[in-house]
Amino acid sequence: MRLTVRRAAFAFAMLLVLGRSAGALFETRDSKLQAVKTVGIISAVGDRFVFSKAGLTGFDNSSRSVSVAAWALDDFFVQQATSLLSARFQVKPVSYSRATFAAINESPLRPVELIRGDRFKKLVETDVTPQGLDAFVVISRAKSDLGAGGRKVEGIGLVTYGTMMESYSAIHALYEIRVVDGKTFDVIEKLAAGPLDNSTDLRLAGPNRLLDEGIPVGSVEASDSMHRAVVDLITRSLPVTLEDMHLR
Amino acid sequence: MFGVMAGLPMPAFAQTAFTLPPPPFELPFLPTLSGGWTATIGAEGVYKPDFEGAKASMLSAAPILYIRRAGSPDSFHSPRDNASIALIDFGDLRAGPVAKFVPARNQGGNAALYGLGDVNAAFELGGFIEYFPVDWFRLRNETRGGFGGHGGVVSDFSADFIVPVTRSLTFSAGPRFTWESTAATAPYFSINQAQAMATGLTLFDAKGGAHSAGVGAQIKYRINPQWEVHSYVEYQRLLGDAARSPLVMVRGSANQTTVGIGASYSFDFKIR
Repeated sequence: MRLTVRRAAFAFAMLLVLGRSAGALFETRDSKLQAVKTVGIISAVGDRFVFSKAGLTGFDNSSRSVSVAAWALDDFFVQQATSLLSARFQVKPVSYSRATFAAINESPLRPVELIRGDRFKKLVETDVTPQGLDAFVVISRAKSDLGAGGRKVEGIGLVTYGTMMESYSAIHALYEIRVVDGKTFDVIEKLAAGPLDNSTDLRLAGPNRLLDEGIPVGSVEASDSMHRAVVDLITRSLPVTLEDMHLR
Repeated sequence: MFGVMAGLPMPAFAQTAFTLPPPPFELPFLPTLSGGWTATIGAEGVYKPDFEGAKASMLSAAPILYIRRAGSPDSFHSPRDNASIALIDFGDLRAGPVAKFVPARNQGGNAALYGLGDVNAAFELGGFIEYFPVDWFRLRNETRGGFGGHGGVVSDFSADFIVPVTRSLTFSAGPRFTWESTAATAPYFSINQAQAMATGLTLFDAKGGAHSAGVGAQIKYRINPQWEVHSYVEYQRLLGDAARSPLVMVRGSANQTTVGIGASYSFDFKIR
């Protein structure tokens, strides 16, 4: 009899434990986000503008990059995200080393990446002040495959795609957003910004648009045009991405 | 015509067709399902030899169905590529596991096989490696070990020149070569005593080695952001003991041609 009672008590305790674990396991991101009141925004997309070539290229198809620090894109990201998130959250200013966040690169070995875990959340824990906010929104560069060859493009840049009959260029702003829990430093949500509805036929997994034709790349006019295009891509894609993440 | 088509402003992606509600629960170790997705549905007709070494060909149909994140490009895929996952991905160099299903060969399926008995279906598991020295040229190898119908090793080599002719039209072609071990060749091409008596074919002990060589070509044309058509032809000439097998020499052919044609429709949808 005592044995049966003990067994029943043990089974009940196990059920409680399993129930709680299952509840935590299957908790939706929405329910986790409901507890978030204060957020800090970190943007580390970086200040490099990358020129890439794909499609029918010459033998040297390596990419090159130039600094666009003057565009202050990370400040623009923070400003835009603050304005979009303020309606729902209390956005608090945070300090961090932008260069440290921007230096993070994914390993090409996926198992290594899985074992190593998310390095952004570790940096949020160690390099961001003040701590104690409910969550941190981290905006960083995203990668996309391009064309048939699995070539990778990343962050902000211009891709020139060559075919036998023509070549064309598209501007891209590839970024991803993480929401890191301010207490546990778990990643609550992570999403790369998707292509806009009127994207080019370049097939990039992120916001992109054709560069206006007739503007010679490298000219001041082209630089202004590219800056405007990047700002436009960010302005149009950020609200959609935050909405997809259930942050708005 | 293609030049005119290429000059038109053509967005690649349609407007979002529909939005699904968020899933009722999420697993913490899996990426979120929220966001944009592209679904592709279609069908492909394939006219290929009835069995490896057959003289007669048959027409079969296969569905096309896949879902990917919106905007993800269709990376190059040859008709000979099998299901694979790139665990190592440097962009120009990728490697990972690969799997192939080889259907059973039943003697009732073709008069040329009568008396040879059945060969069970085989599963082949192994690894692949592919390298793109430039965007328009790919080298690929798949090496797989079989179990079930055969217990040997198969190694497929291919090279493809991938030429984007216009924004909508891509042409690719290149040579192919396959090596197979004895254990992978014998179940399909050896003739044992019982089989010889039942079929009248001469005894034959098929050994491994160079198995086939050939060429393949495919063409893809994107009619508009939703519709795409493609077609391909793969020619293989059986080599070594596969070509010398009495099954092939008497009842079949060393020339193996596969032709495929298909169409697919893509649409975007969103998960909240």
